[in-house]
Amino acid sequence: MIYGKIWCVVRPSTGIPLFLAAVAIGSFAVHVALLTNTTWVKKYLNGNIAVAAEAMPAAPAAAPEAPR
Amino acid sequence: MSDPDKVWPTGLTEGEAEEVHRNLIQGTQIFGMIAALAHLLAYIYSPWLK
Repeated sequence: MIYGKIWCVVRPSTGIPLFLAAVAIGSFAVHVALLTNTTWVKKYLNGNIAVAAEAMPAAPAAAPEAPR
Repeated sequence: MSDPDKVWPTGLTEGEAEEVHRNLIQGTQIFGMIAALAHLLAYIYSPWLK
């Protein structure tokens, strides 16, 4: 397999955790970047609260007082 | 890199190094497939890109 001989010169106990950490940190960073730079991830994670808040119109003004 | 029984500084032979690498590649492929499936589900069930 291509590049397999890397483990002849890099100890697997060093290289494998390094590789896994790079994958984990990279994917986490992408998701954090999406969460902070877009609106729709936050909205989606908030679920129905955000939908309800958006759908609900402003509260109507109080009704005028009925004549006595 | 001609002697297959030579023990390299990491304590592995070429065959063992190849075996480590095969497993790492296989694990990466399985992780990738699971990630692709998760992204597909997220695309279907979330307002992603809509």
